Amino acid sequence: MNEDKRVPCSGCSLLCDDIIVIEKDKSNYDIIGACLKGIQKFEQRNSKNRILSPYIRQNNELVKVEWDEAIKKTIKLIKGSLNPILYGFSTTSCETQLKAIKLAQKINGFIDSNSTICQGKVLNSAKKKGITTITLTEIINKSDVIILWGFNAVESIPRLLSKVLFSRGKFRLTGREIKTLIIIDTYKNASFKVLGTKDLALIVEPDKDIDLIKILKKICKNNIKLPNEGTAGIDKEDIKRFITYLLNSENIVIFIGQGLLKIQKDGNPLEKLLDLIDIINNKNKNGRISTVMMGGHYNMAGFEHIALSYIGKNQNIQFQNRKLIQTKMNIISKIKERDFDLSIIVGTDAISHFPSEISKILTSRPIILIDNRKSGTYFVADIVLPTAITGIESEGLAFRFDHVPIKLKKIMNPPNDIPNDEELLDKIISKLDKNNVNSD
Amino acid sequence: MIIPPKNFMELYKFLPQTNCKKCGKPSCMAFALELLKGTVKIEECTPLIEESKYKTGYNKLKELLEGEEGIKKELKINIDNEKCDACGICIIACPVNARYCYSILSGKTPDYPPDKHQLFLIKQGKCELLNLEHCRRLATEGRERECRICETYCPREAIKIEYN
Repeated sequence: MNEDKRVPCSGCSLLCDDIIVIEKDKSNYDIIGACLKGIQKFEQRNSKNRILSPYIRQNNELVKVEWDEAIKKTIKLIKGSLNPILYGFSTTSCETQLKAIKLAQKINGFIDSNSTICQGKVLNSAKKKGITTITLTEIINKSDVIILWGFNAVESIPRLLSKVLFSRGKFRLTGREIKTLIIIDTYKNASFKVLGTKDLALIVEPDKDIDLIKILKKICKNNIKLPNEGTAGIDKEDIKRFITYLLNSENIVIFIGQGLLKIQKDGNPLEKLLDLIDIINNKNKNGRISTVMMGGHYNMAGFEHIALSYIGKNQNIQFQNRKLIQTKMNIISKIKERDFDLSIIVGTDAISHFPSEISKILTSRPIILIDNRKSGTYFVADIVLPTAITGIESEGLAFRFDHVPIKLKKIMNPPNDIPNDEELLDKIISKLDKNNVNSD
Repeated sequence: MIIPPKNFMELYKFLPQTNCKKCGKPSCMAFALELLKGTVKIEECTPLIEESKYKTGYNKLKELLEGEEGIKKELKINIDNEKCDACGICIIACPVNARYCYSILSGKTPDYPPDKHQLFLIKQGKCELLNLEHCRRLATEGRERECRICETYCPREAIKIEYN
């Protein structure tokens, strides 16, 4: 433990690889450098919220059962299903995601990850024009303007600003003084307290980001004059300062948050934003603008990579006769039209994330939950299978928000010999194979 | 006992501001700087004592430099761990930490056990103050003594610099 004590944290998509873990005695550890989110992940091991054994719903009540019985029931449910959906996977390792896609192929299911209602939308918008990305190390060493667009860094990813804004990179040795922070949001969020005197805060009217992007595009293209009354609730002078930063800085990074993902009245703001970045990057010879897709779950980017490399499609993957078929359905429409008879949810709290009408339909069919904590989905699931916490009790690969793979480490053993996600899915796949041979 | 540092402009306000050079310094501002460092005494500025119109200024300076009835105040950095979310901005932003812990430059957690100069430490999701004696407000001179970086940059307003 002493030699290799720096471990990656699987609390959020930043995957801080500098957490120091020191063993005090048998099950007590000192954790140094982790934020509250990371600490919560470590404390999950011994919390009341932890699921430690399999459960099955009998007479509308969850009953503790043995592993064999739970697996048997799971196999029975999967074999009886003709159109299952698999959802989640953004808080599991890449190895598990690959196994899950193989399972979906075997049982002719529909598989999708949390990314489809999150940062996958940015990738979809980028399919036409492409996207300029940047890695965390490059941001630390070279960035001079940081833009948080619809993204509350202080509350969602606590350590991001300390790494990105306050660090003194190789070419930005004065640190905070040389870096400019621009926050664009609809309200004064917690990140506004970090702003200094030369920084810029733009409070946009709700659903009017697209107007701001459009006016910026026009100015960059044709040098038109700004309207005196301002745009989208922002002052003329502020827009002028913003455009000066955009056109004259060396390395601008835009953090795209959840606030920009929604389709607005006049179209998709993401497409317009990527257009604007394209125009400025062609015009500006001294510098460039890059984007970063900010997701919350630690391995959201992983599913995109694994699915693209294994099957050639990153979202809405539907199998029929063990082959990929084209479909226009996504996870929401699939549930809304009741086009499923079983749902397998891995490592996420789908019931709480979806709108309530969608959640209600989801609960009307059997749910198999594979997770380590008692979330909202736990209380409506028909079968609950516990797993080890990836990044603490089992190892695996995960992709950071800037699409850089990081190897998570195993620090301690799981309680009750709980298998990890990968082993559990492996077990289910091998049991399904066995049953097929027997029935033949 | 630790003397609280002061802004030299605050001292300059109460000086005659005539630049008469009777104290031997080139200007009143230079005299104020020397006053802050403690290398000269207030009495060396003779117009302050001799002319009656500067009497209030003289009294004020005396109060500022020597404290009320000779009681000296002690520096305290209070950390409210209810508000703190262990983001580590204080560790990264603190200039003293940056000078002695190399990994801070790239935004990483400093080594453990901590360097003797390190001021802050994040442990179990809580911010701890290690040793105050290396803080800029005590260990340096001049403008650097007015450092309030940890207090101003804390997004949760959990750090408060106080004297009591």
